[in-house]
Amino acid sequence: MTPSYKNAASQHSGYGDTAWLKNRLEMQDRLQQGGVWSPDQEHDACGVGMVAAIDGKPSRQVVEKGIEALRAVWHRGAVDADGKTGDGAGIHLEIPRDFFVEHIAHTGHAVDDGRIGVGMVFLPRTDMAAQERCRCIVEDEILAAGFTIYGWRQVPVDISVIGSRAEATRPEIEQIMFSTPIDEEEDAIERKLYVIRRKIENAVLAERIMEFYLCSFSVRSIIYKGMFLAEQVSDFYPDLKDERFISRFAVYHQRYSTNTFPTWRLAQPFGVLAHNGEINTYRGNLNWMSCHEDRMSSPLFGEDVEHLKPLVQGGSSDSAALDAVFELMLHGGRDLPMVKTMMVPEATGDDAPKDLKDLYGYCNAVMEPWDGPAALASVSGDWVLASVDRNGLRPMRVTITNDGFIIAGSETGMVQVDEHQIVEKSRLGPGQMIAVNLAEGKVYHDAELKQMLIKRKDWGRWLGRSQVMDNLLAASKNIPEKIISGDDMRRRQLTAGWTLEDLELLLQPMAEDGKEAIGSMGDDTPLAVLSNKYRGLHHFFRQNFSQVTNPPIDSLRERHVMTLRTRLGNLGNILDESAEQCDHLLLNSPVLTTAEESSLQQWLGDRAAVIDVTVDANLDAEGFQQAIDDIERAAEEAVRGGAEHLMLDDRNTSADRIAIPSIVAVGAVHSHLVRQQLRTFTSINIASGECLDVHHIAVLIGVGATTVTPWLAEACIKDRHERGLFKGMSLDTVIGNYRTAIENGLLKIMSKMGISVLASYRGGYNFEALGLSRSLVSRYFPPMSSRISGLGLSGIFSQIKALHEKAWSEQKAVLPVGGFFRFRQSGEHHAFDANAIHAMQRACDTGSYEAWKAYSDIVSRARPVNLRDLLDFVSKYDAVNIDQVQSITEIRKRLVSPGISLGALSPEAHETLSIAMNRIGAKSDSGEGGEDPARFVLRDNGDNPSSAIKQVASGRFGVTAEYLNSCEELEIKVAQGAKPGEGGQLPGIKVDSLIARLRHSTPGVTLISPPPHHDIYSIEDLAQLIYDLKQINPNARVCVKLVAATGIGTIAAGVAKAKADTILISGHGGGTGASPQSSIKHAGMPWEMGLSEAHQVLTMNGLRNKVILRTDGGLKTGRDVVIAAMLGAEEYGIGTASLLAMGCIMVRQCHSNTCPVGVCTQREDLRAKFTGTPEKVVQLFTHIAEEVREILASLGMSSLDEVVGRTDLLRQVSRGDAALDDLDLNPILVRADGTTHGRKPNHERNEVPDTLDALMLTDARNALDRGQRMQLSYNVKNTQRAIGTRLSSHITRKFGMTGLKEETITVRLRGSAGQSLGAFAVQGLKLEVHGDANDYVGKGLSGGLISIRPMAASPLVPQDHTIIGNTVLYGATSGKLFASGQAGERLAVRNSGAVAVVEGCGSNGCEYMTGGEVVTLGRVGSNFGAGMTGGMAFAYDPDGKFESQINSESIGLYRLLTSHWADHLKARIEEHHRHTASPLAAKLLSEWDQAVSQFWHIVPHEVLPHLSHPVIVTKGGEAIA
Amino acid sequence: MTTKSMLQFVTRHKEMPDKRTAEERRHDFDEIYADFNADAAAEQAGRCSQCGVPFCQTHCPLSNNIPDWLMLTAEGRLEEAYEVSSATNTFPEICGRICPQDRLCEGNCVIEKGFESVTIGAVERHITETAFAEGWVKPPTPMVEREESIGIVGAGPAGLAAAEQLRRQGYQITVYDRYDRVGGLMIYGIPGFKLEKDIVQRREALLREGGIDFVLNCAIGTDISFDDLRKKHDAVLIATGVYKARTLEMGDGQSGSDADGDNAGLVPALHYLTISNRIGLGDQVSEYADGSLSVKDKNVVVIGGGDTAMDCVRTAIRQDAKSVTCVYRRDRANMPGSAREVMNAEEEGVRFEWLSQPVALDKDKNGQITGVVCQRSRLGAPDASGRQSPEPIAASDYTLKADMVIMALGFDPEDMPNMFHEPRLKVSRWGTISIDWKTMMTSLDGVFAAGDIVRGASLVVWGIRDGRDAATHIDNWLTRKKAEASIKANQKTASTR
Repeated sequence: MTPSYKNAASQHSGYGDTAWLKNRLEMQDRLQQGGVWSPDQEHDACGVGMVAAIDGKPSRQVVEKGIEALRAVWHRGAVDADGKTGDGAGIHLEIPRDFFVEHIAHTGHAVDDGRIGVGMVFLPRTDMAAQERCRCIVEDEILAAGFTIYGWRQVPVDISVIGSRAEATRPEIEQIMFSTPIDEEEDAIERKLYVIRRKIENAVLAERIMEFYLCSFSVRSIIYKGMFLAEQVSDFYPDLKDERFISRFAVYHQRYSTNTFPTWRLAQPFGVLAHNGEINTYRGNLNWMSCHEDRMSSPLFGEDVEHLKPLVQGGSSDSAALDAVFELMLHGGRDLPMVKTMMVPEATGDDAPKDLKDLYGYCNAVMEPWDGPAALASVSGDWVLASVDRNGLRPMRVTITNDGFIIAGSETGMVQVDEHQIVEKSRLGPGQMIAVNLAEGKVYHDAELKQMLIKRKDWGRWLGRSQVMDNLLAASKNIPEKIISGDDMRRRQLTAGWTLEDLELLLQPMAEDGKEAIGSMGDDTPLAVLSNKYRGLHHFFRQNFSQVTNPPIDSLRERHVMTLRTRLGNLGNILDESAEQCDHLLLNSPVLTTAEESSLQQWLGDRAAVIDVTVDANLDAEGFQQAIDDIERAAEEAVRGGAEHLMLDDRNTSADRIAIPSIVAVGAVHSHLVRQQLRTFTSINIASGECLDVHHIAVLIGVGATTVTPWLAEACIKDRHERGLFKGMSLDTVIGNYRTAIENGLLKIMSKMGISVLASYRGGYNFEALGLSRSLVSRYFPPMSSRISGLGLSGIFSQIKALHEKAWSEQKAVLPVGGFFRFRQSGEHHAFDANAIHAMQRACDTGSYEAWKAYSDIVSRARPVNLRDLLDFVSKYDAVNIDQVQSITEIRKRLVSPGISLGALSPEAHETLSIAMNRIGAKSDSGEGGEDPARFVLRDNGDNPSSAIKQVASGRFGVTAEYLNSCEELEIKVAQGAKPGEGGQLPGIKVDSLIARLRHSTPGVTLISPPPHHDIYSIEDLAQLIYDLKQINPNARVCVKLVAATGIGTIAAGVAKAKADTILISGHGGGTGASPQSSIKHAGMPWEMGLSEAHQVLTMNGLRNKVILRTDGGLKTGRDVVIAAMLGAEEYGIGTASLLAMGCIMVRQCHSNTCPVGVCTQREDLRAKFTGTPEKVVQLFTHIAEEVREILASLGMSSLDEVVGRTDLLRQVSRGDAALDDLDLNPILVRADGTTHGRKPNHERNEVPDTLDALMLTDARNALDRGQRMQLSYNVKNTQRAIGTRLSSHITRKFGMTGLKEETITVRLRGSAGQSLGAFAVQGLKLEVHGDANDYVGKGLSGGLISIRPMAASPLVPQDHTIIGNTVLYGATSGKLFASGQAGERLAVRNSGAVAVVEGCGSNGCEYMTGGEVVTLGRVGSNFGAGMTGGMAFAYDPDGKFESQINSESIGLYRLLTSHWADHLKARIEEHHRHTASPLAAKLLSEWDQAVSQFWHIVPHEVLPHLSHPVIVTKGGEAIA
Repeated sequence: MTTKSMLQFVTRHKEMPDKRTAEERRHDFDEIYADFNADAAAEQAGRCSQCGVPFCQTHCPLSNNIPDWLMLTAEGRLEEAYEVSSATNTFPEICGRICPQDRLCEGNCVIEKGFESVTIGAVERHITETAFAEGWVKPPTPMVEREESIGIVGAGPAGLAAAEQLRRQGYQITVYDRYDRVGGLMIYGIPGFKLEKDIVQRREALLREGGIDFVLNCAIGTDISFDDLRKKHDAVLIATGVYKARTLEMGDGQSGSDADGDNAGLVPALHYLTISNRIGLGDQVSEYADGSLSVKDKNVVVIGGGDTAMDCVRTAIRQDAKSVTCVYRRDRANMPGSAREVMNAEEEGVRFEWLSQPVALDKDKNGQITGVVCQRSRLGAPDASGRQSPEPIAASDYTLKADMVIMALGFDPEDMPNMFHEPRLKVSRWGTISIDWKTMMTSLDGVFAAGDIVRGASLVVWGIRDGRDAATHIDNWLTRKKAEASIKANQKTASTR
């Protein structure tokens, strides 16, 4: 009975690794001051879940199950560099009265009959005065509320289980126990405690004590959490082993953080919820919450509402902030299901039921959704609730037992339950929830919960008050708009800085095709701040994007979850629940045409105030600042005067008046109104004569605009239309196209961040300022930071003034020709111009180092393009003789030719690169798209054409076990420099027979690379993929390719903890075959910034020696390589230059398949023109290495290793243009540690723990040695992951992928298999699971067979329950899967050859499939077959609901009218029955004649003509061959 | 995108505008190429690859935005095409005709490798001819007149380009030329079959209409002193070109000079071409009339391998010479002239003697040339410019029959300081005028120089480029001077108060 306390040493003994802590805090300080790192860049994710007793009776079993579950998710967390400190874990339980009665007695108090309240408190441990002060504050506030204090209890802990670093930061952990009156409602007491807690927190903060934290403060529940590994929760807190510790629920959490600083307070669960995922709209939500605070009020809080502010404390993680707002909304009077529905709403498309849409319509009227991957386990009052986000991006598996428990969590099998006791196994789909009402003792499934909420109010009637403006706007087409034209228009275009190129290359395609222009080969123009040409202000804003810690969304194929819906007008009190909250206008889009804008304005009448945002052209810089102040004041006065809509307008531009850059105008008004607490009272609309492209409009919305009217762009379209440049198209069509292009572009820019809802994107500043003055940014775009500073208001004014003068002085206004996208002599500078290209090719053709120096000279004399061009070397040491420097051969090994896919490159060019790199012992990267197995063997002359690095990208094209085993390194491409956060598409015309063969697809059929890896939605997923890859290739190092961005340091730390061996930081300039121009130009950051940050933050976290850093993006010379080394890189990718060496002349038409030199094309006639040779490429790398040697010698260094991270050998030699406020490169030169030692890279691979395969390899020796048939049998748990993968590696290496007969090795597994069951399994291996399995079953399946069925003892009807998790068969190329039960979301995504039979699946089934076959015998989720361009599917649809679930864009539905396909299907079902004994299969087969008519045959339109046998169309019965 | 009509080179073949047959064209001085029709121009323009790095532009002295006006032409937007084309080029219709495109833009066209380049020159000509026909070409009438006046010496490409640019900005312009017609080499140097003379005169008319004054038959230093010129104008631009013909150096002390008729039949190229052009323009020229400079039924040998040599041989063909031979010391690949011109010349019946160097002239007793003694040469190592230099082969002499020998060996500057009686005008050791390249100003304040007289003999297109650059510098200089003067004036008023 009495728990063992023998290990629970006093909390006062031991201090952990204090030297480490001191050093770490110093480094942190240095980097934070240098602007390299800030605590708010941290990300985390994890395993999460809950257990509850449905009958609402507290029991010990619930607690034990919770602790057990935590033990089974350790692999979803991470461990610090000390090998012991976990990222945090915790459990949320009820307060066990009996337990605390005893401890209150120890304090000498008798327990009264009131409710026992307990606060779990983290106190400062080493600063005793502060500790005492905190105790006083806590006691004061409790007493002030009239409650009785029992006393403090020091919580027993066992510090021997935590790492020395966790120990170093461990707080003093105590419990304050107090009594609250029994006669008051529990809810009311909890609300009081909430206010008290906020008062305590504010009071402590006011005294600048940072180490204080309240884990929980309640009469209901208590949270035990800390920086230990999940399995150690009850070892660290022996309290939890006490038999009296009982509860009705347990909510638990295991954290995986990108950070390694053991921050105890960030461990979860929080007061309401435990969150797995990441809130992508965090910044926007925070900004809007601070606006909502202004109008927040509730009778429940009365005056106390002031104590609640700020709602979200500084330094909170996204999860903590989400929890804080959840808590507020709950105490404000809503219950948990309603708060979840409001905060993390489901996506409701056009075909959703009206009552559901009304409910969400109301919710969206109150609050911007908190959007991003989220699996939430939460508890409040009587409700315990598990739920997921609108995209279903995190798994949540549910088990309900016949003895009254509900278990929900990230994985199935976390709590071991006898199969015969299970009555339900399910999962939560996108936007779904499941809850238990403990008071009622009832489980509420998703539909029941939503019906309950729908019935509460007449939401539809309320929503009727918000005017949907569509009709008004639709009628506005005919309103005549005065058109400017001719010279007047030209002058305004000139004032806006537009060029002919902008109109032809950007505007025209948008209006003509409704699409953004495509470009190639990256960006080699100067950063806006380094340019000597005028660059619009939007050029200084770089788009953010998600990588690793959260996934981008596919705005094309998953459009249904996204919305541009725009609320216009004042926002209400979020704590209210009333019809008045719907009093605003609703638009379908934030982009208005001029006609719409003017009719809106007419309709609004007095409620709108027009504000002219032009200024007198004769002002000076000071006057300009004054003028902006005046505009801010005018806006404020208008709002105070009752204007609900501000219409900013720059049409007044003339010879005497200049338009303020729209971004400044909107930023100024928005930030001013926020400061004045007025923002929620108005909308901010701008009619801008400056914005033309998607990026510009996105920036305007991102800095706070409600709507944007690009009136000058529209006028240009009208003018072009009049000139007949849109043949046969009406004006409405072309303006509509332009709007469509902008809207789709906005969706794309949002989706890069993983954001689906415009309302949460608006004002979210999802950009990085690059080259804007710090003071300008802090004034007008306050939450953004601008690390290197740059252009300020006076600089901006002198630029626009010069433009304006020129525009209005010339006799005839002629637009400059441009040159930003394509080089023009009079336009923007490009790093690679004709001279540089010629010079470099001469050097590579002739091998003359003289010629190389001539090239290198051209480069170094050119205008600065990159940040590194402002740096120069510091000579600290005497030069050494060049003979003392490491050899060219050694240096060349560090060089890499980065991933360029076959498909972009011609086969000749692709091979030439590989052969050249192998000759010099360096590495080439295959890029996405597979590689011909013929290249895995040496050529007759001994050349090795196989790429040493094989890329694993989101499309997983040609990623087979064989491919993965024929390399030294595997690169996971998370993002690419030219278009981070975006997917790609290889149009059918480029898919010739070779490419189709390598990518396992059909020639001529379009191939889509999804924006995210569907098995990496979160950092722990990446760890899983790395684990899988290290199993399938036991020797290869794993590299993770990231794109430079602020915060990349913490991401890199997370990636290092995930056991990556190399991290590649790509710069924004990187090349590409085809990308939207706005992505090439406006996304990503320079590698100098990303690399330096990654190096410093990894160093700070003690992780730097675990990984090799590599960088690429526009490296051109030996100088670039040495600078990259000094900024922290050990390996260097050289892409564009290696193409030039092969004859590329930067035509930049790679996307057109017309490369005249045969480098980047698949056309045979053009490929014949390829003149590249391995010799030329070798020459390039030799020249670079030689130059590196020269530089090293001059610096007195003998090897590259010696200069890695030596930023002290660099200095800034230029601060850019005189017009800039400042340009400060210190943030990239600051060093975490003061040492000046170079470092030796670690070439050892970071090993991962073994899985069941270690045992299987021994047991299957006879099979592996001789191909003997064998059967193995094991019990499995969810912690055993990637079963069969290592075995498959052995089979592949010995027998090849198809060398072993089918089912040679049969492995029978009983239980819940861990993630990635049978990943990359090959022919000869059969995995037979009795039980169930988690996510990623059959990932990359390469010929193996997997069958899964419930245990014989299970009473479940298989097709009604979930048996396998999400993202099954992702990227599979061959093999079979049979599952007797339902699959989760994204079944067979990007499958290109495997066959699957399942009994139902979640949403997005068969997405992007290009081959193979899927049979579903049960219900399917929405968006089935999105982007499915190949393969086929069959669906059993007895209740006729299938048709409404499909995405019909690329697929067609047919009935099985030919015996060929009917027989084919029947054989599949027979096979399914043979492998799983499925009762449903048996039933269907027994009634086949009837069943066959209830099947759909799903065939993609593009493969229809390629089918071996015709499919009969139902309509008219016409045959299609 | 607007480039939909572009990138057609992979399927569409190169087509030049119709060229008249050699038989037809060798009897007159009309241009040999026809103009594109609109469809053909659009189609051919659509072959452009719209390069990210347009090598055509890089290799165009004017940095013409070639891909842009090709795109606009392909789209049938000729007015915009003209706007873009004329924004960087003062005389696009002339460049379109006479630029050696095969060595400049077209020669560097990236699709040239096996696809044959885009017909840039022909399209440029088409754009501008259309612009003339449609009335889009406007005289350089300024919006506001400025009082400063500028004197320009030389009515050739550089002088005219500068005059046009400066006039647009409102300056008062007077152009002086010692010849009786406007155009310099464009009127008297280049034969009509390359550039019909009314094309040049059409420009002259526009310039006059725009208010530019011409003072012809006026040699500076003779008819007006240089000092007076400087006094008369706020700035002066010297753009006289280079006219002194290089002479043939021959082994045994023979000089290639024809000065006093001791070498009857030896003619400098420019003299020959000028007379031919005068005839074409309807002038009476006695030397031609008396047959001394007529080539009819004579054996003509032209020495040199540049564009001037090509002009001479083709002119001689048209004047019914008995035979026309071009002697050049390097081979075809290493000649400086346009390969296209060589091809045209060959078609028309010119014979080329490559790798051959004249060493002596055979003369009869009257001093009349009867032949050229030549020596074979071979090519040695490439020099700094990348061209291989010829080395004579011993004892390989042979004689070419010749009644007239035309020397097209290039031009040197005349003695400018002497001609202008202005010793302070600094010149280089080659006799070209020295300027500060940052301002294009000579050693004399307010005196600028541009074109061949600075650069040495070069192409018309370089002349235009230099003229335009000079205009910019002159404008900058005058504007700054004016601003300084007004500041000074203000200070003065301030101090007198």
